[in-house]
Amino acid sequence: MMSGREFFIKRYEELGWKYESVKPTQAIRVNTINAKETAVVNRLESLGIKLDKIPFVEGGYWIQEAKFSIGATTEYLLGLYSIQEAAAQIPASLFSKLKGKLVLDACAAPGGKTVQLANLMRNTGAIIALDIKRNRLTALTNHLERCSVKNTIVYCLDARQASQLQLKFDCILLDAPCSGNFVTDKVWFNRRTIEDVKRNAMLQRELLTEMTKILSDDGELVYSTCSLEPEDNELNMDWAVKNLNLQIENANCYGERALTNIFGKKLCSQIENCRRIWPEKTQGFFVCKLKKAG
Amino acid sequence: MLKLIADFASRYNARINLDEKFVLKKDNKYFLLNNELKKLISKDFFYAGEYLGKTRKGRFFPSFNLLRMIAQVEANKISVNEKAAWLFICGRDIFRQGIVKVVGSNEKGDYTLILNHHGECLGFGMIQRHLYGKGNEVSVRNILDIGDFLRRESSTY
Repeated sequence: MMSGREFFIKRYEELGWKYESVKPTQAIRVNTINAKETAVVNRLESLGIKLDKIPFVEGGYWIQEAKFSIGATTEYLLGLYSIQEAAAQIPASLFSKLKGKLVLDACAAPGGKTVQLANLMRNTGAIIALDIKRNRLTALTNHLERCSVKNTIVYCLDARQASQLQLKFDCILLDAPCSGNFVTDKVWFNRRTIEDVKRNAMLQRELLTEMTKILSDDGELVYSTCSLEPEDNELNMDWAVKNLNLQIENANCYGERALTNIFGKKLCSQIENCRRIWPEKTQGFFVCKLKKAG
Repeated sequence: MLKLIADFASRYNARINLDEKFVLKKDNKYFLLNNELKKLISKDFFYAGEYLGKTRKGRFFPSFNLLRMIAQVEANKISVNEKAAWLFICGRDIFRQGIVKVVGSNEKGDYTLILNHHGECLGFGMIQRHLYGKGNEVSVRNILDIGDFLRRESSTY
């Protein structure tokens, strides 16, 4: 059967990673549009929260110790920081320039990366944030209000129909719906099958196709998933390079070079410019930065 | 459209200047856009720019963005100590002993913003009795506090 714990663990071994149980460390990101980083850190430390700087993202901290929920402090409610897993802080940081740009956050809810983008843009330019599920948009808009984001327009729209907006974007973040990973989902092994993974991969290809249509000629597209499955990641990027006239830029960030040989199938060499993050200090993750070729 | 917001601000003895052409109404909600967003927006948006508040049954309910804007101008404000600030965020009223500083009105029935010792706006309430009187009674009744974000989350998910 193409599912279950042993099936997936064996796959990871074939990809070069030995399974180990990982407990994710909670992380935050300081919203520097609302306060100075050092001031926020001092305030949290004075509450007895022990922080550890995340070395590979700006303004990110792991929570080493907190005697209460970090989602219920005055500082959180004032939007001075967001709770955002460490690896999830990487995709928005990969764009070369964001200030003043027109940015699409294609699958935006619950909004952690949208707020991060607004923060990196210093509330300049504009973000168009989409999500298909209206109930998830409420969480997104609460997040925007709490963090004093001013440069975002939110639509309830399937990103596969984003060309309806009749806009060309300088930067697109496609944090695609994916198969997820076992670190953040205790029952992941019990509920995932390879058929689910393949179905998600098809959806991601549809999204990538639409994103390519609305990306400006010199624009940047960052693709990310929190999946360890190559169908969601390397295999889709290989397909995008071969079918969508995209090229992969080097993602200069935390993580291992992505795999160019998947279960004996040789992929295009550009794939190694992507980053695959096996669970260790973070959850599993994958990032890729693309531009239009030629 | 702006009269509603101006009237709300006036309950804090505050005046805020919003340019009507940048204020957009969608259903019962009001949003403040900037030039960039105004050029891009289409009519079926869900949320845009700075959310200002909403009306329900003829009453105006402000957003925290709007309260922050009012807090930046001359308005009724009280600063409270750390304990009172925390209790306020938890939905409690302000007792006289928790008040550190009063700016503006002392009049019963007026609205006042509640600030912490960092000068950050935690919400607003209605003055119940003279803020400098004797005794330790409820002086400001909590109407809206930032703990609302947590209450909303529990009703969203």
